[in-house]
Amino acid sequence: MTRLLPAFLPGLLAAWLVALASPAVAQTLRVRLNADIRSTDPGVNRDANTDAVVLHVVEGLVALKEDTTVGPLLASKVDVSADGKTYTFSLRDGVKFHNGALLTADDVLWSWKRFMDPATNWRCLSEFDGRGLVKLLAVESPNPKTVVFRIDSPSALFLATMARMDCGGSGIVHRSSLGTDGKWVAPVGTGPFKLGEWKRGQAIELLRFDDYAARSEPMSGYTGAKKAEVERVRFMIIPDSAAAKAALYSNAVDIITDAPSSDFAELKARTDIKLDASPSMGLNALLLQTRDPLLKDVRIRRALALSLDTEELAASVSEGLSKRNNSAVPTTSPFYGAVQANGFKRDLAEAKRLLAAAGYSGQPIKLIANKRYGSTFDSAVLVQSMAQAAGLKIEIEVLDWATQLDKYGKGDYQLMSFTYSARLDPALNFEMLMGPKDKQPRKVWDNPDAQARLAVALDSPDRALRQSIFDDLHKRMLDEVPAIVFYNGIELAATRRNVAGYKGWPTGQPRLWNVRLQ
Amino acid sequence: MLGYVLRRLLLTLPTLLLVALAVFTLMRLIPGDPVQLMLGDRADDAQVAEQRARMGLDAPLPLQFGRWLAAVAKGDLGQSITDQQPVLPLILERFRVSAVIVLVAVALATLLAVPAGLVAAWQQNRPVDLFIVLGATLLLSVPSFWLGLLLLLFFGLQLGWLPVVGYAPLSDGFAAGAAYLVLPIVTLTLIETGVLTRMARASAIEVQQLEYVTHARAKGVPEWRVLARHVLPNAFAPTLTLIGLVLGNLLGGIAVLETVFTLPGLGRLLVDAIYARDYPVVQGVLLFTATIYVLINLLVDLLYPLFDPRVSVQ
Repeated sequence: MTRLLPAFLPGLLAAWLVALASPAVAQTLRVRLNADIRSTDPGVNRDANTDAVVLHVVEGLVALKEDTTVGPLLASKVDVSADGKTYTFSLRDGVKFHNGALLTADDVLWSWKRFMDPATNWRCLSEFDGRGLVKLLAVESPNPKTVVFRIDSPSALFLATMARMDCGGSGIVHRSSLGTDGKWVAPVGTGPFKLGEWKRGQAIELLRFDDYAARSEPMSGYTGAKKAEVERVRFMIIPDSAAAKAALYSNAVDIITDAPSSDFAELKARTDIKLDASPSMGLNALLLQTRDPLLKDVRIRRALALSLDTEELAASVSEGLSKRNNSAVPTTSPFYGAVQANGFKRDLAEAKRLLAAAGYSGQPIKLIANKRYGSTFDSAVLVQSMAQAAGLKIEIEVLDWATQLDKYGKGDYQLMSFTYSARLDPALNFEMLMGPKDKQPRKVWDNPDAQARLAVALDSPDRALRQSIFDDLHKRMLDEVPAIVFYNGIELAATRRNVAGYKGWPTGQPRLWNVRLQ
Repeated sequence: MLGYVLRRLLLTLPTLLLVALAVFTLMRLIPGDPVQLMLGDRADDAQVAEQRARMGLDAPLPLQFGRWLAAVAKGDLGQSITDQQPVLPLILERFRVSAVIVLVAVALATLLAVPAGLVAAWQQNRPVDLFIVLGATLLLSVPSFWLGLLLLLFFGLQLGWLPVVGYAPLSDGFAAGAAYLVLPIVTLTLIETGVLTRMARASAIEVQQLEYVTHARAKGVPEWRVLARHVLPNAFAPTLTLIGLVLGNLLGGIAVLETVFTLPGLGRLLVDAIYARDYPVVQGVLLFTATIYVLINLLVDLLYPLFDPRVSVQ
């Protein structure tokens, strides 16, 4: 035996060295979610957390790129007819669903038929059924690799709306996602991850899809080459921020995608944590109710705008991570330029003059904020303090988010510190602010002429025309002050140092493909 | 006895009906629309109205209440607005998490508090008593979330002995599941020990002053026997009442601790449902906890005569 042992030693040594060089076994990437998801049905019962998870599992014909323009995903290319009413999608070869079935045009037709069925309760149905953006006249398949969409009128936002995250990316799923009773079971999509287990209130686990057909170009947004580098992703539901931070420090969690700006300095000081700060496309703004007896006077609104140092406010609230942006066009938008960079400059003397001219005599103005989105409260406190220097008396009322949203929807406020989720086209940003208040009390800016200009921007694909419209609308907004946009916000992600490849982007949604544990 | 129990159970029905009406009304009075919350800041009025109609939220309130009550009578607490899941199984699943923590913590607290209270009463105004009273007062005063976070940071983060976040049911593996429960149970035990110790001490002091205790001591009965045989049985009854109240209170959910320790319990379910204006869940949880409260108090009343024969069930 002892004679044979030396003969075995090289073999044992080789085996040991091979084992050392082998890739790490079964890795799980643990990501914090601040609340449970609502469902796994894309674009049906959803919120931002739901989108974050589901968009790792399903994919649509098109998706958002890094610069928030739209690029093909399941489609290899998209051809648009000259009149802008026909979109022809050529499907990529070799794309498989999680159950092994190959993607065909028939699956696209089936998914879109389901989307357009009112019984599905798809969130974006109204955008495609004639009530909103367009009326989808037909979805046809001339051959198994081609799908044709016909719409009633040209629209600059047709593809962007298809790609919208809150629409579930119009994710194409296999019909086995439904049970025999026609009810939703679980998504059988084409994404780099498939749904593993959803333990309600605790965690959602995604598993690597080994047969994922990645695109060849570099990753860009939700498009491009996506590779599931880890075997599992576990989204852990940790509502409390302090507990989430403790979990990160103790290596119970690998990534916090939405770390508060107030933790920036503390996280930066740690050697075991890396930070990634990406400008987002959400808007943090002060809404002014132009129908309020006091605030209907534009001089008072302008005085308020001129009393604020929005540069200081943005820096203060975001812990120096964000810069002022008084435009409804986000700084990361391709349409943000020199015109949009022009904003309000603090001028207390002019503010006081305007208030005197308006006959303002210290009447209290109520400013609503909430603590769920801490930046709204922090902004409100600074607004109150800065405006006081001009003689404006502002009282802050803190409400819970549900109550504030209710008041927002009804236009029942004087001032409101609000945060809008990201819209990925400036026309949609303006659209969320503008509209007839009689029919849509939530709108802050009721200017029929400006709305007519916006309608052109929503329909026309002409980039130069759209830019000129956005420039014009920005100038008018600065003039009429229906709202004061402060800044766009930052998505601050904190990861353990052994996490490689995680990168934030303007939508604020996590992307866990191409991320590995070292 | 059976008649008493049945009468008490029948009497709970009007109580629960009042609770149901109060909860339903209060939730509808609070501003905030669950559909608006669900659809977010993108939703227009037409979409909100359509969704409300789909969910039956546009019906007159008395009709909504009637429909809900009729369903409750059949054991159906409705469907969650947030995730479209049936409410009753959701409540039971979450209750299991909270119940384990509460029952173990209250049991441990009782085991600690009763002897501590007895000893404090026996050694009244002496250093031991002062120490126990001080400790109990300190535990009473400390906010549970603060204590919980402190223990989490020390034992979880600093020492790494226990997990900081997460939950695993005991059914998935006792050792793994128990690890997640140690800190919340310890936190709750400490808090409730403070509460129960003060009550145990106060009632023991009162009983010690009675003649039969003095008589037992005069007869030369060993002190431990005086305390165990004569003081404890008579002093325990008020503490038992308090235990019942505490249990009923806590079984309704320990929302703060569940949030700190990321436990999917009943309290967190209720808080999340209130923020989301998830009417069926809030109504269901409050009705459920009211029922639990009533049943626990009934149990306490039934146990009372065991400790105080002067009190009869009738």
